[in-house]
Amino acid sequence: MMLSIKKKKSSMLVFVDKNRIFLLFGLVFLFMALFAPRFFNVFNLTTIMRTMSMNATVAIGFTVILIIGQLDLSIGTMVTFTAILGLGLKEYIGFGGSVPAAIIAGGLIGLINGLLVAKAKINSFIVTLGMMIILQGSIYTFTGGNSVSLSSPDAFAVSDWMAKMVVPLLTPRVIITLLLVVGGSLFLRRTRTGRNFYMVGGNVQTAWLAGINTDRYTIAAFVLSGVMSGIGGILFAMESAAATLNMGDSSLMYVISATIIGGTAMSGGKGGVFKTFMAVLMLDVLYNGIILFGLGNEVKIFIAGIILASVVLYEAYVAYRHEKIIGQRPELLKELDGKELKSPELG
Amino acid sequence: MKKIVLLLTVLLLTVSVGMVFAGGQQEAATESGDSSSTLEASLALEDEVLNLKAADGQALIKLSGTGRDVPPRPDDPSALPEEDPLHWWDMEYAGEISNKTNIPESPADGAIGKNVIMIVHGDHPWTTACTTGAQKVADVYDMNLKVQSPNWDLAVQNQMIDQAINERPDMILLIPLDAKTAPQQARKINRAGIPLILFNTLPDAAAMDYAITWTGPDDFGQFRKLARLWADELGKEGGVAYVQHAPGGSPYFARCWGPISELAEYAPDIKVLDKQAPGFEADKTMQLVSDWLTRFGDELVGICAADDSAQALGIFEALKKAGREDVVVIAAGNSKVGMDLVKEGKLFAITYQTAEGDGALAVKTAADWFNGEEIEPVRNLPQHMITAADVEEFYPPQW
Repeated sequence: MMLSIKKKKSSMLVFVDKNRIFLLFGLVFLFMALFAPRFFNVFNLTTIMRTMSMNATVAIGFTVILIIGQLDLSIGTMVTFTAILGLGLKEYIGFGGSVPAAIIAGGLIGLINGLLVAKAKINSFIVTLGMMIILQGSIYTFTGGNSVSLSSPDAFAVSDWMAKMVVPLLTPRVIITLLLVVGGSLFLRRTRTGRNFYMVGGNVQTAWLAGINTDRYTIAAFVLSGVMSGIGGILFAMESAAATLNMGDSSLMYVISATIIGGTAMSGGKGGVFKTFMAVLMLDVLYNGIILFGLGNEVKIFIAGIILASVVLYEAYVAYRHEKIIGQRPELLKELDGKELKSPELG
Repeated sequence: MKKIVLLLTVLLLTVSVGMVFAGGQQEAATESGDSSSTLEASLALEDEVLNLKAADGQALIKLSGTGRDVPPRPDDPSALPEEDPLHWWDMEYAGEISNKTNIPESPADGAIGKNVIMIVHGDHPWTTACTTGAQKVADVYDMNLKVQSPNWDLAVQNQMIDQAINERPDMILLIPLDAKTAPQQARKINRAGIPLILFNTLPDAAAMDYAITWTGPDDFGQFRKLARLWADELGKEGGVAYVQHAPGGSPYFARCWGPISELAEYAPDIKVLDKQAPGFEADKTMQLVSDWLTRFGDELVGICAADDSAQALGIFEALKKAGREDVVVIAAGNSKVGMDLVKEGKLFAITYQTAEGDGALAVKTAADWFNGEEIEPVRNLPQHMITAADVEEFYPPQW
């Protein structure tokens, strides 16, 4: 009986642990729906979906980076760079050329990052920090300090289309984001290639011994991160009809927080795109509600910090517990739990 | 499988419960005329508003007096050289020519009790003073003034605009984070049928089509005047350098190209040695100016800074280390640090840019609109240069 209760309790805890981001999202959403003025209406919920769109797209690539145990600090500046490039080239080659060009540029930047990390064996923190600074300088050099905007009437036509509600809550940009999230999630979970990213992140030596080309996967992850940053940036710029010089600055910390809160481990080998997406959504619901309550920016930063710290502490506790019981034989423990040891038959 | 079903059920239940209970939380938009405001009572408050004082003892609401002289617009200002003042026409005189589109008509029922949302650009002591001034005027009219700050994040400002539209206020006051994104932001508010006033930072000219008016400092005009004062002090010759504002906004251009283009005509023998945007950190500015002193030596006789606090401190630190306190420095004011430096004789002159007045003027203009008055396309704050001769009159500082 005791064992059965313990089993159920343990099973419930495991369930809560595995699905904490969904439960957290539900709690935050319910709180805001109950108490935040003007929260629960189609317009406001669509605002939340539109706001989360850019960071959710960028977070797809960043999740894969963390899964393989690396870091990409250049995602924010890649967003800005690709957005400026995309809008800047539009005048010469139209959107049909400039949007793919921007996305390819993001991929190429990711490729450079990946090659330096995988082949030159430079720490990803240093590589991507350097890339971030190079891109910042490039942005200021090429724009001369000016933001880039679309000239009317193009500006409004594009922006209106991107912001138009196709069905309640969903605009074209949001739909693209959701498709990328679903696609990314299925790819990582349901394909061998996707699962290999987890292997590389979990234990790179084991993955190599298993015949996985770990360098290739590392490079692919950075390319994916660059592509996603490019998509996020250019779509946001098209809806704003302009690209400013610091539009991607806040994305880095936001995406890192969301990815970790969503359960992706910085040590690698664990995490998922869909949970990261739920974390982005949860944070945006929270920030939306904070604004509706009329609270200041400092409250938003404080609460986000509390959530992140709580998640990190919890992860640290889980790791500590794991270290404590590592090497123990659970079947032996079960035998000892309320039952006598069966004496071996002596023959 | 069971657990997934359970999870989805919990989520669905959460959303449904939210829908049921949240229905009662939605507040209807305040209709104009719901409150006890009357036009006469609102107009009667005019004198009280005009007598308000800022923290520095200056009148809170001050206008620039008679309108400024606006030269005819060239056919293509961008084709002119940057040293030509008319190259900056579209930015400097934004709003003077606009095709007002779908501007709501004033209800002309007074400003008392109106709901106004003010979306600023970011957290800064200047912004605190600005919102203080705005609140002073709002209090007189018993307006419900809600101030929101996106802390320099464009995505957050866009979200705040969307949420403000959702609230259906009687007026939105907006400092656009970036001139180029302002047209889209202004158009969105305009299409929602909400009256809009842009203030402080000059937007792209297209944004003016969707706003009732723009209020704020004539940055270009101030800096042109300041440049002349500076040139006279320099004897209209020598090399000068510019410490610029953050790239992208109108101050970046106004506080650098304003004086450059003015001096190109007024003092052509003054040579521009360099212009850089080191940000608003004293140590980076100090490094920049030290580099200038090394590069240009005695050729550098003047520095123009976009900010009279952190940037000015960095400038004087570098000048002191190099023993070059003879360099004539001007800046955009007017913070406590800047005024202290003017008082000490370090800063030659700063512009008077009343932060409280900036916020107050935006709210006062909103009140005038609610009162049914005709609003000019641009309302500027007064221009004044603070020097050692009159700096005491501006204490205590607003920020």
